[in-house]
Amino acid sequence: MPEDRPLVLVADDDDDIRSLVIFRLERSGYRTVVARDGDEALAVALERRPDLAVLDVMMPKLDGYEVTRRLRREDATRAMPVILLTARVQDADVARGFESGADDYIRKPFSPQELCARVQAILGRR
Amino acid sequence: MQQLFAWSSVALGGGSVTFVGLLVFRRIRLYRLEVERQEAERRLEPLALALVNGEEIEAVDARDAGVLAGLLSRYARQVTGDSSSALAGYFERSGGVEREVAALGDRRAWRRAAAAYLLGDMGSEWAVGALRDALCDGSRDVRTAAARSLGRLRASAAAEELVGVFVTAEVAHGVAGQALLGLGSAALPALRGLTGSDDPRLREAAVELLGLLGEAADSPLLVARLRDSAAEVRASAARALGRLAAEDAAAAVRAALDDRIPFVRAAAARALGEIGGRDAAPALLALARSDHYDAAQAAARALVRVDPTLLAAAGHEGFGPHVSEAVDRAAIRS
Repeated sequence: MPEDRPLVLVADDDDDIRSLVIFRLERSGYRTVVARDGDEALAVALERRPDLAVLDVMMPKLDGYEVTRRLRREDATRAMPVILLTARVQDADVARGFESGADDYIRKPFSPQELCARVQAILGRR
Repeated sequence: MQQLFAWSSVALGGGSVTFVGLLVFRRIRLYRLEVERQEAERRLEPLALALVNGEEIEAVDARDAGVLAGLLSRYARQVTGDSSSALAGYFERSGGVEREVAALGDRRAWRRAAAAYLLGDMGSEWAVGALRDALCDGSRDVRTAAARSLGRLRASAAAEELVGVFVTAEVAHGVAGQALLGLGSAALPALRGLTGSDDPRLREAAVELLGLLGEAADSPLLVARLRDSAAEVRASAARALGRLAAEDAAAAVRAALDDRIPFVRAAAARALGEIGGRDAAPALLALARSDHYDAAQAAARALVRVDPTLLAAAGHEGFGPHVSEAVDRAAIRS
């Protein structure tokens, strides 16, 4: 497999969601790295420098908002696009996601096809 | 006699050992089954994920089909769009929907409830008729699972029945309400029809839900309910108009400030706080000075939004405790 394919970080504490997202992304030609909580997501992002991160909002240790904020503070990950995957449906939660620095959000339950299209759209813009 | 005691002891001891042995055997068997299921799940996961993504897979044997169905049901709760359609198609083709619909007739309530629940995850419209029937099941668990599944399937045809079980509490209130909200605008035709029901409980629930799901065009229907013979319906109508911020209904809601029932007056005052418009301010101020605690408090609080200037002036002129309280609250917020 060529290593120039974009690398996507998928961070979610739910095994099923992780599997669904990873399968769809890999089928569409992306490479993936995985994290199961906010701390791990941050560490993996800093170490592997993925091209994009898909972060669950409600994760153990650090939530998706906080991970996004911390990514924005680091030089190495400041420009990394972030898509938040959230079960929260209030507009205020969506606004909070954008305020924390996220580029886009997807509400759970989600369409894997739509998620992939959004990833493509964001990476295509860059 | 002693011999009898001795034999009894031996028999009891033997029975206990056999019983414990059976329990241990059963436990080991359950553990093995669980390990086998987990192994099968790991093996079948790629197939399940391929199905979610709309890919065709080879047929699996009957034992694997059960494990695959469980895995797919879990995934079905997490996905929407094309993936949901792909899963529904699989369950229809593989006979899963048919099997669970048949299980709704099982003599064991837990099996019927499990089937009703699973049918919602399968996402097939084929199950709607059977699930509507299951709303009349003798077991509350089955009715609740059926209501939840009808909401997941967005079965607009079941809207009237769902309002019915919501009102009569034959299904847990939260589940029935969530199901109706899940139907979204598809429930509106049924809800509009139910506002004219003979049963005031159905009218009340329908009006309340119209406030959550309805649109501006529902305002005349709700205004008509402000003159309903049942006070609960009138209060619901006021709340619904407030939620819809129906400006065209402001005059009618203002008139409800004179309703003879205090909780209707309170609901109307809160609604005017949502609708806004200074025309309501004098009537709200008058109500804020009235004797009924809830209505007066609601009116004073509504004034904070409707006309803060009038409220502030009234606060200095001894318009009563509720106006003073509202002035203080407004000051704290600003």
